Amino acid sequence: MAIELVKEKYGNAINIVEIGRAGSSSIKIGGETTLPFLFREGSMPNEPVAALEILDSDPVDWPDILREPFGEAIKDPVKWAKTAVEKFGSRLLCVRLQSVHPDYGNRSSGESVSVLKAIVKEIKVPLIVIGCGDDEKDSDLLPKASQALKGENCLFGIATQENYKTLTATCLADGHSIISESPIDVNIAKQVNILISDMGFDSKRIVMHTTMTALGYGMEYVYSIMERSRLAAFMGDKMLSMPFILFVGQETWKVKEAKELGLRQGVNWEIATSVSMLQAGADILVVRHPDSAKAITNYIKEMMKEEGK
Amino acid sequence: MKEFTINFTAQNKKIKVSQGTDLLTAAIKSGIMMHAACGGEGLCGKCKVVIDKKEVLACQTIVESDLNVNIPKESLEIHTKLAHESEEFTKGVVLKREDAFKFSPLVRKIYLELSGPAQDDNLSDLDRIYREISHKFDNLRISTSLSNLKHLSEILRDSDFKVTVTIACKDDALDIITVEPGDTTKTNYGFAFDIGTTTIAGQLIDLNNKNILGTRIAFNKQALYGSDVITRIIYASNPGGLAGLSEAVLDNINEIILDLSGAQNIALSDVYSVVLAGNMTMMHLLLKIDPANIRKAPYIPTTTVFETIHAPEVGVEINPKGIAAFLPGVTTYIGGDTVSGVIACGLAESDELSLLIDIGTNGEIVLGNREWMIGAAASAGPAFEGSGLECGMKAVKGAIQGAEIDGDINVKAVTVDGGKPKGICGSGYIDLLCQMLKRGVIGKNGKIDGTLKSKNIRKTGSGYEFTVAEDIVITEDDIENLKRSKGAIYSAIISLLNKVEKSIADIKKIYIAGGFGNYLNIENAVFIGLLPDTDRSIYEFIGNSSLAGARMSLLSRDAFMKANDIYKNITYVDLSSEPKYMDEYVASLFFPHTDLGRFPSVRL
Repeated sequence: MAIELVKEKYGNAINIVEIGRAGSSSIKIGGETTLPFLFREGSMPNEPVAALEILDSDPVDWPDILREPFGEAIKDPVKWAKTAVEKFGSRLLCVRLQSVHPDYGNRSSGESVSVLKAIVKEIKVPLIVIGCGDDEKDSDLLPKASQALKGENCLFGIATQENYKTLTATCLADGHSIISESPIDVNIAKQVNILISDMGFDSKRIVMHTTMTALGYGMEYVYSIMERSRLAAFMGDKMLSMPFILFVGQETWKVKEAKELGLRQGVNWEIATSVSMLQAGADILVVRHPDSAKAITNYIKEMMKEEGK
Repeated sequence: MKEFTINFTAQNKKIKVSQGTDLLTAAIKSGIMMHAACGGEGLCGKCKVVIDKKEVLACQTIVESDLNVNIPKESLEIHTKLAHESEEFTKGVVLKREDAFKFSPLVRKIYLELSGPAQDDNLSDLDRIYREISHKFDNLRISTSLSNLKHLSEILRDSDFKVTVTIACKDDALDIITVEPGDTTKTNYGFAFDIGTTTIAGQLIDLNNKNILGTRIAFNKQALYGSDVITRIIYASNPGGLAGLSEAVLDNINEIILDLSGAQNIALSDVYSVVLAGNMTMMHLLLKIDPANIRKAPYIPTTTVFETIHAPEVGVEINPKGIAAFLPGVTTYIGGDTVSGVIACGLAESDELSLLIDIGTNGEIVLGNREWMIGAAASAGPAFEGSGLECGMKAVKGAIQGAEIDGDINVKAVTVDGGKPKGICGSGYIDLLCQMLKRGVIGKNGKIDGTLKSKNIRKTGSGYEFTVAEDIVITEDDIENLKRSKGAIYSAIISLLNKVEKSIADIKKIYIAGGFGNYLNIENAVFIGLLPDTDRSIYEFIGNSSLAGARMSLLSRDAFMKANDIYKNITYVDLSSEPKYMDEYVASLFFPHTDLGRFPSVRL
């Protein structure tokens, strides 16, 4: 006798977030009505996407294996961005304005924003823009960056429980989407989303970063938090119905094994981590090595093929 | 051994101590209350004193000569100033159940006019007394001590066989504790006590007419040896440590007894009974029972039940023939104070599902009815008792117990006694949080909105603070602290309900206990997510229920016996081993709750 598969049916879908100027090159993410790739139960109208990460200055502390694919271009953010898009086909680009951080150059917000403007001029793909990570600096930098990119419909980050107000207000004014971050905790994830929405920000323009870690460093915990969050969303929780963004590159390339064990190890580590995160429900994967981005994109294509059945 | 004189200059107190004594001990001996959260281990750094312009830790400084010591204000326990002017304001809360148990005090006086012995009535003097009283007490076993017998014949004959016997109920037997000539039944007094980690409350009761003659609260003097139970248990393991802790709390108890009976001109010899309710650690420390295993997994106390004993055995200074009785506890975390609360609210006698929430350092919660009960302790911390907050205080004179904030962010604060505000007590914080939320002074995460234009909002080195009254503020740290406390209590309630597969809607009665003074705004407590959003009419505020239960036990042997049934019937749930508790807890660290659907009546 044939076994009847038990199929889950959910009542709620993940929000669809569009990044970039509406039209030609914009990207849509989210919209899932099921756990990843379970096409018998529901659909994934928008495929997950890998974004390459670049910085607003020469990343002198990056290992050679990360610098080598971009050659000399990596020393100039604009050329670096162009290489990422034109040579490696990145459909989405993540610019981290790291040079403003006191430990990474301590540049003025103005200098960093002018680099960002130069990138936008040359690049047509949608942008994710991330602050330097220093709360005080970011509260000056991000509003300026947001204004400079007004109307570009970027995805700005990162809003946490402590600093969400400035970024939310500025994204609201300049028409950007926002990344809400929480420390691997479903409840706090929801709280940050509520706080941002309470400021009048459309909850359907929030992308969640529930924090992650690389393979071998407690990734299974990340997985279960994402899964629980997703299940709550499918059950109807609107304040958890946001797509996920994961900064895989940032986590992978600080792992000792990835940096030190042979040349290809880091790339493989980045791919393995990303693939696991895709199974957890990732919508955007921000990676650093072009080969990783390529492998992940191929993997996504393979997985999405199942839909036809 | 050499002795040296220590002069505490700021307090103008001198004390002679022997060489090698540490300065913290010297300060304690001279009656100065200093901060010592770590119990003198040299870890917390709070007992700073200044000697020759040099700052040192009092607990780590050994006396080797005469010294002038300056104790700065920050090192002093702020409680000192309250310890004596503290009359609790829970008098306003009178329980409807006060008469639920038959009036039969644990110690009763009975005036007897005995017929003298004769040829045909040749019972012994003692049996003559027994014959008169045994039928009044369901023929319980009666006994008396040898010391009472030595002069019994003399007393009986001198008083023409007209005597007053004082009878103490000890569990299931009676003990004649005194036989006095003539009728002295008019003078029979007792004390009810609630022994808390932070505060001690005592009440003087006239056992002839059930009148409450006075209430006092004092800060537990054990605080000198550590602010929480753990440091005190560690301190108890030092040589003389346990004795010191016991003396400290006995000091509190005897001070309250002396103070209240003095105020009513009552002789201590007319006080025959004391009933004490307290958490397990407090009971161990009071009775000098080694508490060491209470703090080690799996947290087992020596006993949770204590026999009724003679007062001098404990060290309570009343009539030396008097008795001390103790409310029994369930486990380390659900002590006699909680069982006492169950007695007070009547949860164990009701057919309906009821919930008792005691909002204190350990927020004890009991859920159940006459057939079953389960209980848990939420580690709420002492925030709602006003402890650990910038301007927190107990519900005593000068405490802000209610507040309103208008549209222009002006605060109207009301104190317990209507006088000038000195600080904020638990119910005041609940009102303030609610009003601040409603007026947008704080967000759902409890952070103060710095962009709001108000003279009452100020930025400090550690975030924002909100001015409630002159020199009285509520800081973001305070709000964080209160948020954790209310989250711990709410999530414990939900976890208990989940444990027995019940929901909030199944609860027909909710009793709120705690040292809130005579006022607690339930609506506001729901608004901040401390209490479940359910029909407000099922809520009843019962004040210090531990004290109320002790009072009821003092006044009724039936109530005391009931307590001895109840403790056996409460099943303890250890929240720390409940896998879902942590999740519930984090979800409740939000105003009112991360799951807003649970608070449909709260509109923000």
